Amino acid sequence: MTLQECYKAMGADYDDVLGRLRSERLIQKFVLKFLDDHSFELLCSSMESGQWDEAFRASHTLKGVCQNLGFTRLGRSSSELTEALRAGNTDAAAGLLEQVKTDHAETVAAIRTTLAGTETREHHPIIRTPSGK
Amino acid sequence: MIKGKILIVDDSEMNRSILADMLEDEYEILEAEDGEQAVAVLEQHHTDVALVLLDIVMPRLDGFGVLTAMERSGWIEDLPVIMISSESGSAQVARAYDMGVTDFIGRPFDALVVRRRVVNTLLLYAKQKRLMGMVEEQIRETERQSSLMVEILSHIVEFRNGESGQHILHVRTLTDFLLRALMHKTDRYGLTGDDINRISVGSALHDIGKIVIDEHILNKPGKLTAEEFAVMKTHAMKGAEMLDALEVHRDDPMVRSAYEICRWHHERWDGRGYPDGLAGDDIPISAQVVALADVYDALTSPRVYKPPFSHEKAVEMIVDGQCGVFNPLLLECLTENAESIRRDLDADSDQTVIRESQNIVKDSVRPANNDATASERTLRLLDYERMKHSFFSAMTKELQFEYTVSPPSLTMSSWGAQALGVEEIIPEPAKNEKLRTVMGDDGWGQFSWEMRQTTPDSPTVSFECPLTYNGQTRWHRIVLQTRWTSDTPPKFEGALGKAFDIHDTREKMSALEKKAARDSMTGLLNRAAAMERINSRIQDRPESNYALAIFDLDFFKSANDSRGHQFGDQVLKEVAKRLTHSVRSSDITCRAGGDEFLLFLEYNTDLERTIDRIFHDLCGPYGDYDISVTMGVALPKAAGLGYEQLFRAADTALYAAKRAGRGQYCFYDSSMRDVLSAISDIDEQKGGS
Repeated sequence: MTLQECYKAMGADYDDVLGRLRSERLIQKFVLKFLDDHSFELLCSSMESGQWDEAFRASHTLKGVCQNLGFTRLGRSSSELTEALRAGNTDAAAGLLEQVKTDHAETVAAIRTTLAGTETREHHPIIRTPSGK
Repeated sequence: MIKGKILIVDDSEMNRSILADMLEDEYEILEAEDGEQAVAVLEQHHTDVALVLLDIVMPRLDGFGVLTAMERSGWIEDLPVIMISSESGSAQVARAYDMGVTDFIGRPFDALVVRRRVVNTLLLYAKQKRLMGMVEEQIRETERQSSLMVEILSHIVEFRNGESGQHILHVRTLTDFLLRALMHKTDRYGLTGDDINRISVGSALHDIGKIVIDEHILNKPGKLTAEEFAVMKTHAMKGAEMLDALEVHRDDPMVRSAYEICRWHHERWDGRGYPDGLAGDDIPISAQVVALADVYDALTSPRVYKPPFSHEKAVEMIVDGQCGVFNPLLLECLTENAESIRRDLDADSDQTVIRESQNIVKDSVRPANNDATASERTLRLLDYERMKHSFFSAMTKELQFEYTVSPPSLTMSSWGAQALGVEEIIPEPAKNEKLRTVMGDDGWGQFSWEMRQTTPDSPTVSFECPLTYNGQTRWHRIVLQTRWTSDTPPKFEGALGKAFDIHDTREKMSALEKKAARDSMTGLLNRAAAMERINSRIQDRPESNYALAIFDLDFFKSANDSRGHQFGDQVLKEVAKRLTHSVRSSDITCRAGGDEFLLFLEYNTDLERTIDRIFHDLCGPYGDYDISVTMGVALPKAAGLGYEQLFRAADTALYAAKRAGRGQYCFYDSSMRDVLSAISDIDEQKGGS
C-alpha cells in the first residue's frame, strides 16, 4: 500500500494533508510518529478512571493531531468526543469513546500495514516479527 | 549569522514537531510541553526569544495562564505571541486578543501560512521597535536641548559675575550626587529619579537673580558694605520672581523646582538665612541641597578674595558651621562620600560630560538605577531588532526599495538589486540607464507621478507597471508609502516600498475572464456569452445571411445512465470537437446546457448543403458508441432577426424533427409556430424517468 492508499483505508484526506505540509516525506514521517502518540492511551485510561478533565485534554490533543495529519474519520469522532467532554456530558462520551476506539484501531492498522517497511521497524523494534530463517 | 529563536508551546509532541519542521530551517526552535515549562523557558530566554507559538488547551498551566504570566512580567510588551488552536469560539479568540496575542493560527496547520505569519509578525515587531527607538531618540534629543538651554542661560549669569565657568557645572554635579546619596540614606523626602534630574537641572539657575544686581556690587573685590550686602541679598527673591513671571510655564514642575532653588538657596537650617528665614525642613530639600553644593564649591574654588581650600578644609569649615547651618543628614552625605565627590568634581574639570559623572556616582553610591537599566535594555533590544530586520530583509526575496528626494537616490534591498541587475544604491534614478532598461522609458516618470499623487494624510499608493529583467518583461504591483517632514507645510522627503511580481496572477485573471464565457468541459461558449455575441454580430451586419441551429444528442440520457457520467462527458467533448472542426472559426458555437448545442453561422449560398455536411460530421461512431443527433435550424427570413426569435424557432424545429423520428434535421417554417417547445418535452422525459 502506498501512503495515499493508506490514507484512503483509514478514511483520511491525503490531498488535504499534502496541500498543507507540502512534502510526502514529512507526511510519512509524522504518520509514523502517530504510532508514538500517547494521547489515545491517555484518553482511554483517564476515561476509565473518570478523570474527565484529563480525558478532555487528551481527546482535544488527539483531535488536534488528527486535524494536522488530515485523519478525517478519527478526527471527526475524537472531535465529537471532545465536545461531549467539554460539555460535561459523560454518558454520551462513553458511547463516543467506542467510535474513537474503532477509528483509532483502523487508523493504526492501516499505518502498520502500509508502512511495515524498514522505517517502521526502525522506529518500533518491538513489533518486528522474527523471520523464518 | 544568528537565527531568531521561536518557542513552541504545545502538549502534543507531534504538533510541536510538525511546527518545528516547518520553521527549523530559518529559526532556532525551543520547545515546551506545557504552560509551566513555557514560563520557565521564558524566565531564562525571554530577551532572545523572538516569538512564541502557543497552544491553548494544555495540562498544568494552559495558554491563558502563560499569557497571564507574560503580562505580569511585562514580556508580552515586546514578545509577540501567535496562538495556535482549533478553538475558534469567538469568546476564546477575543479573550486571547485582549491578553495581547498578536495573531491566531488555526489547526490544521498549513506550512505556508505558518511560515508567512511568523515572518510577518516578526517584521511587524521589528518595525514597531524601530519606531519606538526613533521616538526615544527624539525624547533624548529634546532633553539634551533643553538642558543645553539652561546651561547657556546660567553661563550668561556666571559670565557677568566673573566667576569661573566651572561653578554651575560643579553645583549641578554635587546636587545630583548629594540627592542620590540622600535618597539612598532615607525615604523621608520621597525623591524619585525624575525629581533628582529636575532639581539637578534647576540648580544651574540658582543665581539668575544676580542678573539684576549692579555690576559694581557684584564684582567688588573687597568686602561689601551693609547697604551693598542688602542689595546683593535681593538676588534670591529676584530670581524667583523672574521664574514666577513666566506666565505659561510657571506651573511646570521644572520651573517650580527652579523657583524653590532661587528663592531659598540662602536659607539656613537654624532659620537665620534669607530672604524668608525658613528653618529645618520648611526649606524645600531642593534648596537645601543646592545651598550646600553652592557653599562647598565656593570654598573649594579660587575667588578674587581668597585661594581655593582643600576638600578636607572645606568640609571641616562647613561641619563647624563657619559657612552656615545645614541639614545634618546632608552633612553626613557630604562627609561619608568625600572620596567620590573629589573624583566627580575632578572629572568635571576634565571637561567630561555631566551624564558620565552621574553614572559613576550612581555606580558607587547605589544599586543600578532602574531607569538606566530599562533604557539600556531597550537599546540592546533595539540593536538586536535592527540586526534582525536587516537580516530578514536580506533573506526575503522581495524587491524592497527606499527613495529619498535630497539627494535624489534609490536604495534597493540587496536581493532586489541583484534580481533587477542594478546597483543597490542608485543616485539620480531619473538618469540611470540600467534603471531605464528595467522600468522602460516612461517607467520612472510614472513612478514619480504616482508618488506625487500622495499626501501626508494619505501617503500610500499602489500601481501596476511592467519591469524587465532576466530577459523577461513581467507585470509588477508597486506599493509605496511616501515620507514627509514635520514642517508646516510638510515637505516630500521620499518613500519606502515594495514591488510584487503579479504577472502570473494577471495572466490567470485574463484566462479566468475567458473561462467565464466558456463552458468548462467542452471549451465552447456558454449560453449567455453566445447570446451576447450573436446579438452583436447581427447588430454589426444585419444584412448578412444567418442561420441558427440547435441540436441535441439522441438517447444521451440512457448512455449516461448505462455507461456512466464519465463516458457521457467524453461523448460531449467529442461532439464539441467535431462541431468545432466542422465549422469556420468565425461561426459561433455553444454548449447551451446538458447535451444541447447551438451553432450560429453566416452563409452565402446553399445553406442546406452546409447544414447537411455539419450534421453528418457530427454523427458517426465514437469507439463502440454511435453518436447520433437531432437538429433544428432557423433562418431570420422565417423566424425574425434576433437571438430570441431564432432560438425559439430553431427549438421548435428541433422538436418537430424529434417527433418525426430522431437522427435528422429540420428547418423551421411558420407552420410550426404553435408546436410545443422541445425543451419542455425533454424536461418531462427527465422528470418522468
